[in-house]
Amino acid sequence: MRKLLLAGALVAMLAALSTATAAPEITTAPSATPGVTSRTITIGGTFPLSGPASLYAPIPRGMKAYFSYVNKRRSTVDGKRGVYGRQIVWKFYDDQYNPAQTVQLTNKLILEDKIFANVGSLGTEHNQAIRPLLNSRKIPHLLVSTGASFWGTQRAQFPWTVGWQPDYVSEGRVYGRWIVANKPNSKIAVFYQNDDYGKDYLNGVKQGLGSRASLIVSEQSYEVTDASYASQIVRQRASGADTWVLLTTPTPTVRAIATARAINWKPDQIVINSVAATDTVMKAAEDRAGAAYVNGSISTAYLKNPTNPKYRRDSAVRQYNQLMTKYGPSGANRADTFYYYGFAKGYDVVKLLYAAGKNPTRESIRRATQRMNWANPYMIKGVVTKTSRADSFPLDQIKIVRYNNRSWSEVSNLFKGR
Amino acid sequence: MRAPAPSTILKFASFGAAVVVIALLPRFMGEFRLSQFTFLALYFIALLGLNILTGYNGQISLGHGAFMGIGAYVSALLILGRPGLALYQLDPPGWIPLGDGMTPVYTIPIAGMVTGIVGVLFGIPALRLAGVSLALATFAMAVALPTVAKRFDSVTGGGGGLSITLPETPFGWDISTRHWLYYEAWAIAGILFVAAWVMVRGRLGRAWRSIRDGEVAAVSSGVNPALYKTLAFGVSSFYAGVAGALLVIEVSFVNPDTFPVSLSILLLASAVIGGLGALSGVIFGALVLEFLPVYAQNPPLLPFDFSNQAPAVVFGAGLILIMILLPGGFAGLLRKLGGVFNGVLRRLTEGGRPMSVSSTRRNG
Amino acid sequence: MADFVQQVVSGLATGAIFASLALALVLIYRATDVVNFSQGEMATFATYIAWSLMDRGLSYWPAFALTLVLAFIGGAAIERVVIRPVEHRPEIVIVIVTIGLLILLNGLTGWLWGAEVKAFDSPFPNETWDVGGVAVSVQDIGTLGVCLLTVLALWAFFRFTTLGLVMRAVANNPTASRLVGVRVGWMLALGWGLAAVLGAVAGMMAAPTLFLDPTMMLIVLIYAFAAAVLGGIDSPLGAVVGGLTLGVLLNLLGAYVDFVGSELRLPTALLVLLAVLLIRPQGLFGHAVVRRV
Repeated sequence: MRKLLLAGALVAMLAALSTATAAPEITTAPSATPGVTSRTITIGGTFPLSGPASLYAPIPRGMKAYFSYVNKRRSTVDGKRGVYGRQIVWKFYDDQYNPAQTVQLTNKLILEDKIFANVGSLGTEHNQAIRPLLNSRKIPHLLVSTGASFWGTQRAQFPWTVGWQPDYVSEGRVYGRWIVANKPNSKIAVFYQNDDYGKDYLNGVKQGLGSRASLIVSEQSYEVTDASYASQIVRQRASGADTWVLLTTPTPTVRAIATARAINWKPDQIVINSVAATDTVMKAAEDRAGAAYVNGSISTAYLKNPTNPKYRRDSAVRQYNQLMTKYGPSGANRADTFYYYGFAKGYDVVKLLYAAGKNPTRESIRRATQRMNWANPYMIKGVVTKTSRADSFPLDQIKIVRYNNRSWSEVSNLFKGR
Repeated sequence: MRAPAPSTILKFASFGAAVVVIALLPRFMGEFRLSQFTFLALYFIALLGLNILTGYNGQISLGHGAFMGIGAYVSALLILGRPGLALYQLDPPGWIPLGDGMTPVYTIPIAGMVTGIVGVLFGIPALRLAGVSLALATFAMAVALPTVAKRFDSVTGGGGGLSITLPETPFGWDISTRHWLYYEAWAIAGILFVAAWVMVRGRLGRAWRSIRDGEVAAVSSGVNPALYKTLAFGVSSFYAGVAGALLVIEVSFVNPDTFPVSLSILLLASAVIGGLGALSGVIFGALVLEFLPVYAQNPPLLPFDFSNQAPAVVFGAGLILIMILLPGGFAGLLRKLGGVFNGVLRRLTEGGRPMSVSSTRRNG
Repeated sequence: MADFVQQVVSGLATGAIFASLALALVLIYRATDVVNFSQGEMATFATYIAWSLMDRGLSYWPAFALTLVLAFIGGAAIERVVIRPVEHRPEIVIVIVTIGLLILLNGLTGWLWGAEVKAFDSPFPNETWDVGGVAVSVQDIGTLGVCLLTVLALWAFFRFTTLGLVMRAVANNPTASRLVGVRVGWMLALGWGLAAVLGAVAGMMAAPTLFLDPTMMLIVLIYAFAAAVLGGIDSPLGAVVGGLTLGVLLNLLGAYVDFVGSELRLPTALLVLLAVLLIRPQGLFGHAVVRRV
């Protein structure tokens, strides 16, 4: 009895104290644009730097290397370092691919680090989780590192969020159209990751195939928790398909190829989505399945491949290599596509910052995201970063590339995915 | 009634002080800190529950992240209601009692209850398991939950998850949402803490502890292990469900990646760091759980491109060290300090008389 | 029909990977009474060491042998340094310590070698035989063969060697063993060392198929636990039978039962784990533990 009274008293005390001392929100008058001072401009993002998706960790480091370069060099526009004399302060945190962490860390970026804009954050669900809070606070949510299509399709609802890379549906469409144009009598087997990523791609492929969607004779999916894909790939072999479309992330891609090889299945044509068509993946696949197996695979690309001999003398690629050596993390593997991706994205970020004007505000950069129109030297010639009021997809041109003798060569004209 | 030991008085005093501090803290904190402390509150609640199950009742659970996840999903589904889910093109089976959308604060006890029932249902077969087998079984649950949540995506929104809007301050109170969420979380934490305290000090706690310390002996003293062990699971998962609901309300989003296996592992690790079998250390476990991941990144003295795997290495090593050096966790440390304090005080007040035998008696 | 047989064959191949790691789990449990949550990470770490050796020019078999030696030393060292201080503490403390090891090793692997996926050589030729329409890869046969050989070797070790007898005695009754002069501490270290060797073998057998990245064994560990429990956590033969059964079962369920599909394979494995724990905790081949009052 005594204990209950004591407990009751404590609870009552708690309640009383809480309500009595509930402090009203300390509202300060909105100051000048957050994140922008006369000398600096602060941007930030969240990335999986550790944990299961840490293979994407080089992206923010590539971005950082580019920003370091911009901060040191004197601009051709006005001779000042940085962007209009402001040094770029780039903050990024590890959300370990957990959206709850993404939200917390984004709050940290907004409230503690006082970023001007959230840039390049990675992960479809992760960006979905922070999109409402960034939009409701009118904070630019720029150039997210995911190819989901709804950043573009839902621009009207979420005007502060902008994607960047060619989206998965567009890319899938290109594969579909290429197959119809080049292999109209093939039988297609599709192997896709069973989540929004894989399903988006699959959707695109079907759209690209159009009336020939019946060419698909086998659709098999896998989970990231699968220890083996043999069960599914055996089925795909049994379907008699001769064209194999892989809509998979990097490690599952090599596993799938090795598995197919191990059950003696060699499709005539392998199509690999661009996220997985990295040099690392192809090398690992070639090591296990043999060059004959992987040569001839096609994929798509919009970025120049820095290891492609064709670009050895290319000034942008040489600059990338030099700057990564100078500003990148020591021991960084420059051939890792994700450093290059970050670098190329950094270029577009800086262009956007310039486009926001000498006295950037969040609104001015938002408007700038609707008027993008430039060629990024790190991208394949002809690719233009372009948006308008009607077009919310900054990048939608890709080329088909084919793998042979350890490198990807461009074999088509530019396709427009949207 | 004997005069309470000085360390007991100290405990009540610290509790009172903590209440005051928590109530006043928001005046000095920015919004982000407030959010972090809200997380602290909900982790505190989850760890209280886990401590009851594993600390007081001796049943190892590597699955509390899954219970939190269940609470989060229940809360999100109730908040959205059928109209909200329809916007996602989700149409759960009709037999699930979803209304038209509920004020978030009311979903919290419901989420707790549902999770508590799930906990009881899990606890019944778990009666047959002990020690590491139970750890494995709960681990299996923690691993399975994200996959199952993805599979039944007509209810859970699959990989894309469910988004809810940030709740408004209810009852027309004139404070910001962040403040409201903070007080909501801490008020619930306080109530649940007091409830836990009452439970462990009373008959429940004694039964739980006797089962933990020797089930056979407990049976022979008339304790029904099945009842109390199942109850421990139920209570413990209720707490976890409440914590999960608070989390989804705070973060406004839930999906399978939000409650990965690593969360269950970290919860148990933090519970042990705080100290099992004592309530005094739980807050330290919560502090570690909330602040370590954020501040382990960009530690001030190290160069910027220091590997991001380093925090994991440090955490793993730290965990091992704490287990070796301080197996009682922070609570054990506090107890030792409390004993020292008692001893010192006694010597000061009794002025030279020899210390009584029970000067370092166990508290709590 | 050929499809069915192919699914079974592929299931056996996957199951062999589960079985290999399960063997390591079983060995540690039998020798030291500890369930080692970090077994998978120890295996991954050893496999990375082998990769590094080969990357520096060592050919396969020397690298393999050296890795086994290093794994043995590493495993024994871990037991002496990390496990010994907490040997007599409550079970939960030991569980947390092995979890701490898991976290530490996983981080260390990522730190030292990065997250990019790497190919790993196989000692077996990269061929596939066609047996009546069913493709059987030599790699898979090899893995299975190594697995069975290991079980045989373990059985012989425990049954016929003095050391094996002593280890069994220590696991059964450490106090009595100490009383007859057995250096219990070193036996436990030996157990961990041997289990680390088994784990290294498992890793090197799995890596050609699974490819090497820091998460390689994380999921396999879960299946290995299910396999070990299914077969009997103290029975090496059980580990192999459990692993193979699980592999085949999951493949067949995934291929023929739509509800399971590929989505619920992992939860199915976990359901198996739970069911065994509840219905027949000693698994198929383990020894029932009778609680004496």
